[in-house]
Amino acid sequence: MSDQPEDVKAGRLRTESPDADEEEEDLEEEEQPGAAAHEELIEAAVAPTPPAPRPVRKIDFVSRRNWYFAFSLLIIIPGIFFMAHSGFKLGIDFAGGTEFTVTFTSQPNQAQVESAVAAENVGGSVITTGGGGYIIRTAVLTPAQQKVFEDDLRAKLGNYQLQQVLSVGGTIAGETIQLALLSVVIAALAILTLLTFRFRNVPGGWRAGFQFGGSALAALLHDVFLLTGVFAILGQGFGLKIGEINSLFVTAVLTVVGFSVHDTIVVFDRIRENLRVSQRLSFEQVVNLSIMQTAARSIITSFTVVLVLVAILVAGGATLQGFALALLIGIVSGTYSSIFNAAPLLVVWRRLQPLR
Amino acid sequence: MQLVLSWPVRLLIVGILLFSLFVDGAGYIYRIANHYSLTGNVPGLPPNFGGWQLYFHKGLDLAGGTHIDYQLTNFPPGQSKATVQQRTISVISKRVNSLGVSEPEIRGAGANNDRITVDLAGVTADQAQKVIGAVNKLVYTKWVADTKVTGGPEPGYKPAFTGLTGDDISSATAAIDQSGLGWVVNIVFTSRGADLFSNLTTANVAACPGDPNTVVTANCAQRHLTIWLDLTQKDIDTWEDTTYVSKVSQNYDTGCLATAKPDTVCPKLLVDAVTLQAITGGNAVISGGGNGFTQSAAQDLATGINAGSLPVDLQVLSVQQVGSTLGAQSVKLSIAAGILGLSIVVLFMIIYYRVPGLLASLALLFYAGAVFAVFKVVPVTLTLAGITGFILSVGMAVDANVLIFERFKEEVRAGRTIPAAVDAAVRRAWPAIRDSNMSTFITCLILGFVGPGPIKGFAVTLGIGVVFSLISSIVVTHNLLAIVMAGSTFRRAALMGVDRVRST
Repeated sequence: MSDQPEDVKAGRLRTESPDADEEEEDLEEEEQPGAAAHEELIEAAVAPTPPAPRPVRKIDFVSRRNWYFAFSLLIIIPGIFFMAHSGFKLGIDFAGGTEFTVTFTSQPNQAQVESAVAAENVGGSVITTGGGGYIIRTAVLTPAQQKVFEDDLRAKLGNYQLQQVLSVGGTIAGETIQLALLSVVIAALAILTLLTFRFRNVPGGWRAGFQFGGSALAALLHDVFLLTGVFAILGQGFGLKIGEINSLFVTAVLTVVGFSVHDTIVVFDRIRENLRVSQRLSFEQVVNLSIMQTAARSIITSFTVVLVLVAILVAGGATLQGFALALLIGIVSGTYSSIFNAAPLLVVWRRLQPLR
Repeated sequence: MQLVLSWPVRLLIVGILLFSLFVDGAGYIYRIANHYSLTGNVPGLPPNFGGWQLYFHKGLDLAGGTHIDYQLTNFPPGQSKATVQQRTISVISKRVNSLGVSEPEIRGAGANNDRITVDLAGVTADQAQKVIGAVNKLVYTKWVADTKVTGGPEPGYKPAFTGLTGDDISSATAAIDQSGLGWVVNIVFTSRGADLFSNLTTANVAACPGDPNTVVTANCAQRHLTIWLDLTQKDIDTWEDTTYVSKVSQNYDTGCLATAKPDTVCPKLLVDAVTLQAITGGNAVISGGGNGFTQSAAQDLATGINAGSLPVDLQVLSVQQVGSTLGAQSVKLSIAAGILGLSIVVLFMIIYYRVPGLLASLALLFYAGAVFAVFKVVPVTLTLAGITGFILSVGMAVDANVLIFERFKEEVRAGRTIPAAVDAAVRRAWPAIRDSNMSTFITCLILGFVGPGPIKGFAVTLGIGVVFSLISSIVVTHNLLAIVMAGSTFRRAALMGVDRVRST
């Protein structure tokens, strides 16, 4: 590599930039060190003695990894507990049944709607969406029963606008869940395989590639479990409509997986490159340097997406709000996991299974 | 990277750009060419260019309408399921046509060819199910003299049931006749049907013998057999009423039949055919006379005869009915989210990355234009999930640019000249962009093949988006950067979003 020294220099100088304006959360204060801090970071790491306390803060992602892992588990474990204990609040396309989304002109109160629905004897539940809007869910109705239900409702509560009717039988609901799970599992395996293949040429060969792929997969699962866990808590713990799991939610999970893997690959790609050009640094130092070099990009990209999602969450209709919330949580989680989990996990794995 | 900057590649990009502009602006090109105003409703939209109708195909969740999944049960023995499924689809299509739905989508589904999904825009679930699930009874009548009858296909005669019904027909198919000139419909009767038909045709010929093609008296009313849908005894009793009869004797309308109230009069005639000779084998041919039917007329008639009985039972698995207001609202929201997203991204890129950001924004517009053109041309049916896939791919297109520009800043700070930095940035960012997009694309492939319905739409738009985002970020941005940076006008630090720039 003829341009090796330049690259290393580029890497260090990179953190001089005032990019930190774009950062969020706890990164904000940490991301504004002067150039000197980084010189010292690398010097200190090369020297065996522990660095003395310094007046300037530095980012040392790797050695604080246990804190980051703990923070993730703090959210994921309650989520898994809820998932195992009470499962999810299922949307109509997963649970089966018939769901009417209606807006009454007369704006009846919830009790009126509930009593009208109860009189039909089809096991209904009623959720209000405001402004005379209600979502009424019943057992699966045949077309004829559905017609009767709609007519009776109109007779009792006055005219309404039927915005959406969804009627899903049990068979197809089960199939949708199966297909959704199957596609997530296959996609995860495919990503693992692809990354193992792509990273096989780092020092350590195929086994190193597998470490990269496995760490990325772990970060991906982190996001999937965090997102589904939060929704289990929202849906079952708080009983909120927004926490419902449906096909759109699965789409959100897949989107998050896509983004998270992007972020992770960018960090890993930098590690791959730095391993080649900065051979005097230890693996941990390379990982830390790579995270610093790419964090700005990851956060910038996610930040633009987050802005759009917040807008949809605030302005969007009821159908899209749950979806936007899922994406929001997932994308923040995805960025977090690629910076604070995936790369540090790689270090842990490397320690347990040294390859060099 | 030399390849990316070569002239053939640049020409290809300009070609894609022009094509996209044409496709995206098809409506406006049509308006200008025909001297219509640029806004408001004009006839002939969406325009048709050499068999291409160029417009966005909206899924039901955006257009409003009804989606139904049917399970087919009770397959007739001895026929392949795929064939029966196809026949059922053609019967349903025929029935749905009577609703006047634009672009009904009726597709086979299910691993065992035992599902059918139906998408109908602008129709309620109630209407759709009535028409599709309707059981029309097909009946054969002969004609008996009644002097009081003055109207209808055979004045002076009224129809009489023969006992022969749709249940006695095992199949009806359209085929080219033996002369090869026109189309005919072949009917195969069951054994009971063959006996009845044989007796009827023998009696017909006996009523007025001769060859009806040459002997005028041989073509008498008693020699006709007529097929109706849902003809009732009440209809026959009212045969003397000429307005009533002329209405009933028009070509059948399944939509009317399915939604008819007790006092509605619907057209019920399927075909009125003269019997040429006694048919004893159980195989009849209906020809159009002269040169026979046209292909579509023969197929319509065969479908009509089959429509008397769907070959299978339809069981409803799921129904989705979306009101047109909700659909329109979703469209508005999606467009608003798209415009908002693009503007945020463009603003951010320009403020943060200056001239390169501006160039990337241009590349992003190219990208959006090209993807929209692909959506129109393929065509891709756009759903809410599909639009999400597109917005996500915008994010990925931006991501590739951000990667390149962050690298570009590093290279400039490391002391490279601007052109060298551009080259190095693209080269160094490439592996990450390649791997991340490849992982997304593979995921799309899997979801497209394995995923449940709504997720397929997401996978298709995201997959198309990923391909074009790669072209946009790697090829277009790089070329624009290379062209702009070739001159010295823009090589100032402030315009580059970096602190200082090496002068040579």
